[in-house]
Amino acid sequence: MTDKKKKDEDISFEESLKKLEEIAEELEKGELNLDEALKLYEEGMHFSDKCLEKLNETKKKVEKLTREGDGKYRTEPFSITEDEEASNE
Amino acid sequence: MLLNTSNERVFTVSSITRHIQTVFKEDPLLSDITIIGEISNYKPHSSGHMYFILKDEQSQIKCVMFRGNNYGLDFKPMDGLSVRAKGEIRVYEKRGEYQLYVSQMSEAGRGALFAAFEALKEKLKAEGLFSPETKKPLPRIPHKIAVITSPTGAAIRDIISITLRRFPNMHIVVMPAQVQGDVAAEQIAENITFLNQVMPELDFIIIGRGGGSIEELWAFNEEKLARAIYASEIPIISAVGHETDFTISDFVADLRAPTPSGAAEMAIPEKESLMKHLSLIKNKVNRIFVHILELKNQRCLNLIENIKYQSPKNMILQHLQTVDDLYNRLKLNMKYILDMNENNLIKYREKIISLSPKSILKRGYSICLKIPERIVVKKIKQVEKDHKIEIIVQDGNISANVSGKEEIKNDR
Repeated sequence: MTDKKKKDEDISFEESLKKLEEIAEELEKGELNLDEALKLYEEGMHFSDKCLEKLNETKKKVEKLTREGDGKYRTEPFSITEDEEASNE
Repeated sequence: MLLNTSNERVFTVSSITRHIQTVFKEDPLLSDITIIGEISNYKPHSSGHMYFILKDEQSQIKCVMFRGNNYGLDFKPMDGLSVRAKGEIRVYEKRGEYQLYVSQMSEAGRGALFAAFEALKEKLKAEGLFSPETKKPLPRIPHKIAVITSPTGAAIRDIISITLRRFPNMHIVVMPAQVQGDVAAEQIAENITFLNQVMPELDFIIIGRGGGSIEELWAFNEEKLARAIYASEIPIISAVGHETDFTISDFVADLRAPTPSGAAEMAIPEKESLMKHLSLIKNKVNRIFVHILELKNQRCLNLIENIKYQSPKNMILQHLQTVDDLYNRLKLNMKYILDMNENNLIKYREKIISLSPKSILKRGYSICLKIPERIVVKKIKQVEKDHKIEIIVQDGNISANVSGKEEIKNDR
C-alpha cells in the first residue's frame, strides 16, 4: 500500500497525462464490463487530478540569488523594473 | 597665452566638417585604399546596404558597402571573417565620422577568433561533449528554473515576462553574472557549479545574453564554460545572441535556443493550452463513461422487458385464452352433435310411426286374432268352422265366429 502511494506521488505530469489518454482510449473501445469501466473511470479522474495538481503546485516567485561564500546564498525578490532603474546609475 | 579675437577664425560645425572632408578627398592614399581586417558587428540593412567594422588587435574602422557594390560579393560577410576591403575613406558629415566606403571586398581567410572557435569546437566534439546521447531531456512541466545572465539586460526581462506569460505560477531564480568581458565565462561557469550544489531540484538553467559582436559573445565560446555546462547535472539551455549566432555553449548545452526569449518559448509550456488539453480528455472520459452507463442501463431495461414477456403470468393468460378457445369449440361441436341426433330421432320416429300396425288399420286393413290364444291369423289353416275370432279395425274390436272358410289355391 505504502509502495503504491509513494509511486503515485512520484508520477510526473507526462505520465499522468499519458495514463489519462490511455484510459480515454480504453473506454472508447467499449469492450468493458461495468466494473472495469467504473474502475477505469475512477483511475481517469485520479490521474486528471494529478495533472492539475502538477500544473498548480508551484507558487509564482521571482527571486534574485546572491552568493555569500562558503556555499551560502541569500535570495531577495527580483523585479525587472526596479533593476532597470538601478542600472541607470 | 593671448587670444587675438580679431585674427581668430571661427567655423560652424558643418563648415569645418566640410573642410575635413576636403582634406580627406585631396589625400591620394585615402581615395583609393585596400584595408585588411576582421569583420565585426556586421549588420546587413533591409535596404541592402551593409554596415560593419573592420578591426585588428589595436584599432577599428567603420565601413559601409552599398547595395550597388555588394551585389556581386562571392561570399557571405560575417563576424570574425578576415577580408580585404577596397574603397575610399570619407567623412560621414552628418555624424562627423570617417568611414571606409567599400567598393570591392574579398575574403582573406578566417579571422583569428574564428580559428580559435573552430579549433575548440573540434576538440570538444572529439571528446564527446556535443554528443546527443549525453543531452538531458527537459521536463514537460518545470516548477523551478534558474537564469544565469545579466540582471539588467533585455535578456532577463524577456525571459521572465515570456515565462510568466506562458506559465503564470513559475518559480524563477535569477543568478546575476557578467555576460561579457574577461571574467564572464568564469562567473557563469562557477554559478552553474554552485547551483548544482545548492539547488539540485532546479528543472533547468538558462544561460545567455542578448545579441552583440563576436567579442561580446565570446565568453560563451570559452572552454571553461563549456566544461561546466557538460558537468552540470541540471539541464542547461544556452540562449546566446541572435538566431544566427552559434557559440560553443550552444553545442554543449542540452538545448540550444535561438534567443533568450526563444529559450522561454521552447522550455516553458503554455499552461493554458495544457489545461485545455487536460479538460478535453477529462470531458472525453466523462462522456464515454456516461455513454457506457447508458448502454448498460438500456441493456438492463431490454432484459427486464424480455423477462416480463417470459413470465408465468403471461403464460397463464396465454393458456387461459387457449382454454376458452377450446371450450368454445367444444360447445359448438357438442351442439352440432346434439342437433344432428335430434334430427335423426325425429326422422326415425316418423319412420317408426309410419310402420306401426295402427297406421295400416287406418288404411282399411284389419287384423284377425284367434281366440282365446290371441294369435294373429295369417293362414287359413289356423282356423276351423265355429272358432271364435276377434277382428281388430282402426277404432275397435269385432267378436265373431267362423261360419265357413275357403282356401284360395295359389296356382298362378
